[in-house]
Amino acid sequence: MSYDEVAADPLSNPVGGPDPDDNIIHLFWLQGMGCDGCTTALLAANRPSLEEMVLGTVPRIPRIILHHPMLDDDSGPDFMSAYRQAVEGTLGAPYVVVLEGSIPDDQSFPGEGYFAALGVAADAPQGMRATGRPDQPLRVSDWAWAMARRAEACFSIGTCATWGGIPAAAGNITGSMGFMDYLGREYRSARGLPVVNVPGCAPIGDNFTETLMQVLLYFDGAVKLPEFDELGRPEWMFAETVHRHCMKAGYYEEGVFAHEPGDNECLVEIGCWGPVVQCNITERGAINHTGGCMIAGGACIGCTMPGFPDKYSPFYKAPPGSAVSGTVSRIYGGGIRRLRRLSMTAGNHTPIWDRADHIPSAWGIAAGQKTPAQKVNAYFYKKLQYKGTVNHSARNKKQPQPGSRDILKQKGVDMSASVPVLGERVVTREEL
Amino acid sequence: MHAVSQQGAGQLRRIDFDPVARVAGGLALRTVVDTERFEVVEASMLATMYRGYEVLLRGRDPRDAVFVSSRACGVCGGAHAWTSALACEMAYGSAPPAMGIVARNWLSALEDLCDLPHHLFQRAGPDFSEPLVRQTSPELWARAQQTPAANVATHGYGLVSEIMTAMTPFRGGLYRRALELTRVAKEAYGLVGGKHPHPQTTTPAGVSALIDPSDRNLTLLRIDKFLDYSREVAAVWDDLADFFLTADPRYADVGAGPKNFFDFGRWDDPFAYDATFENAPVWGERRWSTPGVIVDGRLRTTNLHQIDGGVEEFVDRSFYEDWSADGGVYATDPAGNNVSARHPWNKETLPQPGGPNLNGQYSWSTAPRWDRLAMETGAGARMWITAMARKQPHSRFVESTGHSLVMHMPQAALPEATLEWLVPERWNAFERNRARAYSLVHSTLVAYENVLIGYDLARIGGPDARTFTEYEIPKGGVVGVGYWGGPRGAISHHMEIDNRVIRNYQILAGSTFNASPMDPFGTPGPCEAAVMGTPLLSTRQPERYLDAMRAVRSFDPCMSCATH
Repeated sequence: MSYDEVAADPLSNPVGGPDPDDNIIHLFWLQGMGCDGCTTALLAANRPSLEEMVLGTVPRIPRIILHHPMLDDDSGPDFMSAYRQAVEGTLGAPYVVVLEGSIPDDQSFPGEGYFAALGVAADAPQGMRATGRPDQPLRVSDWAWAMARRAEACFSIGTCATWGGIPAAAGNITGSMGFMDYLGREYRSARGLPVVNVPGCAPIGDNFTETLMQVLLYFDGAVKLPEFDELGRPEWMFAETVHRHCMKAGYYEEGVFAHEPGDNECLVEIGCWGPVVQCNITERGAINHTGGCMIAGGACIGCTMPGFPDKYSPFYKAPPGSAVSGTVSRIYGGGIRRLRRLSMTAGNHTPIWDRADHIPSAWGIAAGQKTPAQKVNAYFYKKLQYKGTVNHSARNKKQPQPGSRDILKQKGVDMSASVPVLGERVVTREEL
Repeated sequence: MHAVSQQGAGQLRRIDFDPVARVAGGLALRTVVDTERFEVVEASMLATMYRGYEVLLRGRDPRDAVFVSSRACGVCGGAHAWTSALACEMAYGSAPPAMGIVARNWLSALEDLCDLPHHLFQRAGPDFSEPLVRQTSPELWARAQQTPAANVATHGYGLVSEIMTAMTPFRGGLYRRALELTRVAKEAYGLVGGKHPHPQTTTPAGVSALIDPSDRNLTLLRIDKFLDYSREVAAVWDDLADFFLTADPRYADVGAGPKNFFDFGRWDDPFAYDATFENAPVWGERRWSTPGVIVDGRLRTTNLHQIDGGVEEFVDRSFYEDWSADGGVYATDPAGNNVSARHPWNKETLPQPGGPNLNGQYSWSTAPRWDRLAMETGAGARMWITAMARKQPHSRFVESTGHSLVMHMPQAALPEATLEWLVPERWNAFERNRARAYSLVHSTLVAYENVLIGYDLARIGGPDARTFTEYEIPKGGVVGVGYWGGPRGAISHHMEIDNRVIRNYQILAGSTFNASPMDPFGTPGPCEAAVMGTPLLSTRQPERYLDAMRAVRSFDPCMSCATH
């Protein structure tokens, strides 16, 4: 296929497409047993942002008509009318459902009562059973099944909605569960999709908006069905462990570990589960590539995982697996680390300093001549490095020294009367 | 203020709003409205969601409560995490080093920067935006188009109507700027907190973070943006509040309430806080935001023992069984002060799921009271108590005068200036929002000041520059309590530990106070009381009950916190 063919595809050219006012999709937000943290994450999303999607400025995806209890203009019956129309099939436009928070087991109550409610029975749509007198609140658990039937897609945002999360932890009295548990394995949306799961407590906002965008692009025909893993997670975000992209993973490799909170090394021995947790926060950051749990110094507690929280707690205890892998890493990584230090010493010398056997830095950090051991190591290192290819070490040995080195001395500027450079002692990271 | 039904008067009409919308969490408002005088005469607030954190925390490692209880609220998760960490610190007898305390302070102040703009522009703000004002009060809109905005030099809007246009959801400049700037605050929070809204670096006795020069600089540079932005926000809300209160003095009755305020304070003096209950009155008064109780406009106490000691929790209107019949486990607090059987030390959480019923139960929130009075907490209470108390320590930027908070703004893009938040004469929805806007300035300065102290501590070095103190976990029975606050006010976590496992865990949050139901003495919760008596002033679309909504939203209720 040529570029011209691609460009001639009407889908590649949004100009002259359908009237943007016709190209809309409703998004119904349901709040179950949650904390609004996923909404907070949604507001933090930037690629794409909520406002871009609501204003319809994201190329090739429909403008989103948002129905969100924390952001809507309307209250009460005015707010609920669109929810009712969605259930009754009279909305006149496609819609998706996003569930925040888990689903409580309040359907099993013999009479009235709820753990999470939205709207009153007087507003109940046709086909959705109300739970009692007209003044009784409607259960979110009723809205969830009733709205899922006609939805183009159902999304679970956050670990409560995906897997159950903390409301479903040991000792709970609400019988909470994830959206998939509630709807069952047979569930398919109007477009044939099982529930799409974007976990995290709270999730990275961009993880959710990007997933939503990708599914809407699929509906538009612009992309193939996004790849979801066997649990309905966006595979491209959750296939890797958070440890693989962790900036502290290198410490693990070299066998150096944090002993207490605030240490900079690998956190597994103070309770980090990162090596066995699927999450992308070390790659993507918490927001706008800034922050992230281990990046800041916080141990991973597995908040994206179906087993959260109980399979990762007590949180402050080292994961049992770390005893084995940590010991192996200490032995193997300890040796590797020492060899790397030798290479780093060589790498911290410019060819000019090598030729002069002198370092012009007064900071003292890199100063000092090479030890015999370092010289021996450097000899063999270079042998290996340049075997069968160009030998920059040999070339550098022949390179003449610049004549204007040490210009102050050449010009006769006397620095002996200047103030001591390091009036205050430099505090090293280790001493802090 | 009692919600006595006036059935039979003929002009009363029941109006329900489920959900209220544009508040955090599940909230329904049920009202009776006098359709002749256009005034709300009865109001009840239904917290419609319950997850049972106090129940599922039993039997866990006390330290796990830090991360578990954080999830009670996705807006102020950090505040719960720190409160929980403080409770552990008291139980374990270990306070963080100075750097750990100031880092906690600046993260906590940053949490306000992440959230308060969302309230002022995403939740409450649209009620003052062009579409809603035009639709419900065209004459006010016409007036706004003629009214110059006094603070144009700070925020750049020449007319009040331009401010209202900029507050239009999604399209307006102020609405979108709040989204952009909260993202900047959330980045700053993530640098040392790990992530928002549930920080991953909170730990008993410190912060699990190595704070290097980049972290301090990148945090400071982001707070720097708020030195300008918070002033713009205060200027906008000054102009809006003054416009409404001048246009129609009856707006002063929207959301009007008594001057009863409650706060545990927060932001510890790094050299005063020692994590002991005995010294709580000392380190409490050294906080940047002073703990205190104000009754009827008069400061009653700033002593944390007295503040906490006066708390009782009632469940008569809530979906719980009463636990207090047997008198409670503790007759006194750990310092020997008497406590009631309804005090959190003695409370047992016994959920009893149901719907609004003839027994008068209608909410999943309990009704905390102080000295049996309904208490308002939140940004207004924080500012008011701190302004009156004149206790606040060694601030480079903020002065407490006894009747105001004077805030010296360092130069950023805007030149240096001095702002003053004056304790208002009347307390209503507009003053609540104005106070919240000024509290954004206050929290910005607290964040700024604490990062600067972080620079000082790093320069000095030594043990004060560490972020974490090691601790031993005692065996047997110990108790601990954390007192802190979030954007919406006072939070306490009372924890009873038996053999290294939680036996009882009791959470009180700002919105538990504000959005509480009626108590057995017939006193409605503060937010309910503020809605009652609110005049409905819209001349068009009266069915929207916009002013009742303005009254509710001025509390910024967070129902996830309230019920937990």
